[in-house]
Amino acid sequence: MSRLIHRITDRKMSRRDFLKGSLVATATVTGLSLAGCSSTDLKESSTASTTAAATTEGAASTAAATTAEATTEAAAEHAPVVDLEQGGEWKNAACWHNCGGRCVNKVYVVDGMVIRQKTDDTHEDTPDYPQQRSCIRGHSQQQQCFGADRLKYPMKRKHWEPHTGGDKSLRGRDEWERISWEDALDLVAEELRYAKETYGNRSILYPSWGIVLYGDMPKLLGMEAMGGFGGYTEVADTASFGSFGYNINVMGLPTMAGGNAVDRLTMRKSDTIVLYGCNPAWSSAGNPAYHYLQAKKAGAEYVFVGPEYNVTASMLDARWIRVRPGTDTAFLLAVAYEMLQLEESKGDIIDWDQLNRCSVGFDAEHMPEDATLNENFKDYVLGAYDDQPKTAEWASEITGTPVEDIRWYAEKMGMKNKVCILHSFAAARCNNAEDFPQLFYTIGMMGGHWGKEGHACGNCYHTASGNNAGNMVVSGLPGQPTIVPNEPNPDCFKGPELWQGILDGRYNYTGNYLMGSGVDMPSEEREIDIQVIIHEHHNFLQSQMGLMKGIEAHRKVGFVMTQSSWLNTSARYSDIVLPVTTLWEREDALGFNLVSNAEMRVFPEKVVDPLYEAKDDLWIIRELATRLGLSADAIVPMSDTQTRYNCLASATACGPDGTMTPIATITEKDIKDWGVEGTPQEGLMPLDDFIKQGVYQIPRKEGDGYQYIGWKAFVDDPAANPLPSKSGKFEIYCEEKANIVNNMKRSTVKPYPTYVRPLKGYEESFSDWENKVKGEYPYQITNPHYLRRAHTTLDNLPWLRETMPNPVWINASDAKEKGIKEGDTVLIYNEFGKTLRPASLTERLMPGVLAMPHGAAVELDEETGIDKAGADNVLCGPICSGIGTSGYNTTLVNFEKYDGPALEPDWTWPARVIEF
Amino acid sequence: MGRLGFYFDNSVCTGCRTCQVACKDKNRLEVGTIFRNVRSYESGSYPDAKIYHYSASCNHCEKPACVTACPSGAMYQAEDGTVICDTELCDGCQACVAICPYEVPQYIEETGKVGKCDACAGLRAKGENPACVDACLMRCLDFGDLDELAKKYGGDLVNELPILPDPSMTNPSVLINPKECALEEDYREVTI
Repeated sequence: MSRLIHRITDRKMSRRDFLKGSLVATATVTGLSLAGCSSTDLKESSTASTTAAATTEGAASTAAATTAEATTEAAAEHAPVVDLEQGGEWKNAACWHNCGGRCVNKVYVVDGMVIRQKTDDTHEDTPDYPQQRSCIRGHSQQQQCFGADRLKYPMKRKHWEPHTGGDKSLRGRDEWERISWEDALDLVAEELRYAKETYGNRSILYPSWGIVLYGDMPKLLGMEAMGGFGGYTEVADTASFGSFGYNINVMGLPTMAGGNAVDRLTMRKSDTIVLYGCNPAWSSAGNPAYHYLQAKKAGAEYVFVGPEYNVTASMLDARWIRVRPGTDTAFLLAVAYEMLQLEESKGDIIDWDQLNRCSVGFDAEHMPEDATLNENFKDYVLGAYDDQPKTAEWASEITGTPVEDIRWYAEKMGMKNKVCILHSFAAARCNNAEDFPQLFYTIGMMGGHWGKEGHACGNCYHTASGNNAGNMVVSGLPGQPTIVPNEPNPDCFKGPELWQGILDGRYNYTGNYLMGSGVDMPSEEREIDIQVIIHEHHNFLQSQMGLMKGIEAHRKVGFVMTQSSWLNTSARYSDIVLPVTTLWEREDALGFNLVSNAEMRVFPEKVVDPLYEAKDDLWIIRELATRLGLSADAIVPMSDTQTRYNCLASATACGPDGTMTPIATITEKDIKDWGVEGTPQEGLMPLDDFIKQGVYQIPRKEGDGYQYIGWKAFVDDPAANPLPSKSGKFEIYCEEKANIVNNMKRSTVKPYPTYVRPLKGYEESFSDWENKVKGEYPYQITNPHYLRRAHTTLDNLPWLRETMPNPVWINASDAKEKGIKEGDTVLIYNEFGKTLRPASLTERLMPGVLAMPHGAAVELDEETGIDKAGADNVLCGPICSGIGTSGYNTTLVNFEKYDGPALEPDWTWPARVIEF
Repeated sequence: MGRLGFYFDNSVCTGCRTCQVACKDKNRLEVGTIFRNVRSYESGSYPDAKIYHYSASCNHCEKPACVTACPSGAMYQAEDGTVICDTELCDGCQACVAICPYEVPQYIEETGKVGKCDACAGLRAKGENPACVDACLMRCLDFGDLDELAKKYGGDLVNELPILPDPSMTNPSVLINPKECALEEDYREVTI
């Protein structure tokens, strides 16, 4: 077998050749030539080996034994079948992307190359104690780390010049020149110094989400370095969270609505589970959809609310309550109205006990002390203030939901049903959705679904989908000191206003609340002159609304740099690009805090040495800090080994009684062998076994004591367990909420939830709403998360491109009206941009609504201004309302059959390979 | 001991295609060659339409047309009933490609030969499952003795669906737990 591997490596995947890049140049479309041996090599394997038949001794399963027999027999006349898994070792690889899933990924490494992957096999798989299986992206990751389009060397744009930027209009279409790390770092440092001295620190934009994600782990280009350098301008984007991205603590809701739902085993006790705008099979791939299936098998019925009856809803046979994008507030107001009607006619709908004990502002009898407005939610719903009762009929015109469905839903919300109402943030990623959080939780409390077994009212987003239960396995921080990352209350754009603000030289400053690390601020018009844009892994140019303006802004400023592992859109429009290692090439502990869900945490290891000239982020920070006159040792004082050790040593698992026990037993010898500072400890398993296992998961079973019921302590005794609001209760009337939103001066809300016609919402698709005359952009479009990528990353992988073709989904009747057939190339356009996609016709999407997957990397034709990749932010405009919410799902477009050349399938497009 | 074959729970598959990619990984397949192929279908019309998915690979048929058609003897039925392509003997004539009603055998241009699912014979020989089975997120794939699979999964398992060819041609070794909407005769393939 070693001969086989040699032959394969000699011919096709020699590491030396790979690093030289000689293969890279030819591998523009396919990926396996780089990622390992391909099927063409399997032929050789059959002659080279001693094989399977010989290794079956002791094989346990009947199937295996039979096969072995057959194979042995067949071997007489047929070449035996071979498994390539020889001569290497399995390693625990990181799968760290912001995909919504968290899974185990293992890779088989031979001579520095990954030739196979697999997922969790650390224990038997059962519904209660499931393996943490990874999705198509996890299984394809070898094509990302070994991709033909990896950034290999530091490089600079050919027509870039120091201080002036040279010909800035060529950003995104210039040629690249390879430069040394020394030169690259010197040039970056000089540009930063020049900008600081000439324009001040405010001129440096470092769009870091304004937060230190995942504790002190990333230490990317350098919040610390840039903080020490005198600060920078930030960006706060509500991103995934939409209108939950302000201080909703004032109403009593947790920051970003985190927690407070239900664990997956308790969820099985529900009668009804509402997935509000959720598609976990795509946006939380891994186990969540499987967890929901277990609740269905236990007897729960499912309800799905949203404009598209998605794959998860169909798998669960959910009842579809269709609601147009951006109209959820109207829908839920009608639900509240109909609940009140049903309460009167039938009774047993509204849980007055829970509502009156746990909230303020529902009706005139329960107003908060600080209310300045003599209005309440109930009377608004009944129409006391605008002569418009929020009936099912009223809502139906806006939402497109049949009246009987609204009434059915209202009845289902009643207090006698055990209902889990679980939301994603899709309905919040809409303009003027600032009332959605308050209203969603109001409906939950009206039905008494807070804090009781079998009920729930909370989010089921991301890794918490299907199992929102708090972390049972945790890891401490690596221990690098946290220096104040930036000046207090720095300049901060709200995402959708970023590019226009750079172009205009002024913007509406409203603070930076995101993730609760900053504060919401009243509107303040500020002048600003952005001269430098620093991109690291977030790929901000691609991921912000108003991409076409983003390109303009990139061609305005003096200097743009990116550190990344691939030529993503931000890198493509930069002047200097620094190649960074992936987590497969690192000893550091970054992966530890990125890969976890409620019940498990992955502790990946380094898989291969750094490829080409890629360097770790921490190395870059140190080098840059030194060049900026800062102390690298003060910013990054700890070795990777020490931080990795710290994380392993501080990893603890929760027992059923809530006690936390260290996972690793660590001896004096371990500490000596590692060469680190540490203290011996007793844990659940020896350190080496823990590292080898690479994952720790709580083995769960029914009645195991890990039950989690969100809001329970509060609902049981609100006085003893107050919420963070002023009244300590859930504020359905919240003066402070209205103050926060209204002081930002983008739009106006009331202290209680009301319906506000959204900017670029359904009503604006009409030029004359009253007479129902359609406008210039008469269709709505949404941007679902897609399995081909995680936001904007992984989109360049050949297997994923082949598997998921990235169409635009169009309601079949709408397509027919336009003469569009399946597979036709369609031009989708509005005042912000134009994009192309192949059409996929469906009956599962509301008429008048299109859906185009989120995150594709823009491929702009400079002549026509048409993007051919289906980049969502070409259509999502640089506009916003309320708190500056990124309202991706309130976007209006028109579309037509494209009269230019038809698109070739994405997987046939050349990869973004830079040759030197 | 009955024949070996795959079990597929059509009723809970989300069409995530992890099986498809796990198969490509294990078999080192370039783009353009797919041994396990997941397709998606809709039945019904708005607003009552449903989507379902079918994960198709070699059915290791009892009467494999590919074996009958193969002039070189490369395509053969192992004693356990699985249908294997011996790439040493294959001369790339593609008779099997033309005749398989399930469009399973794949002609691979780089090698000039045919490749197809062998139900991961190499892995099975080591006591493991086929890669697709162990990768499935919804646990809707299994492989083994069909009689035992039928016992394990019970219910109304079938070996045909409206989207599939008539099973009487080759008697496929597959057990499907059908989703109700997959039994509708009026279906259309959709791109997701």
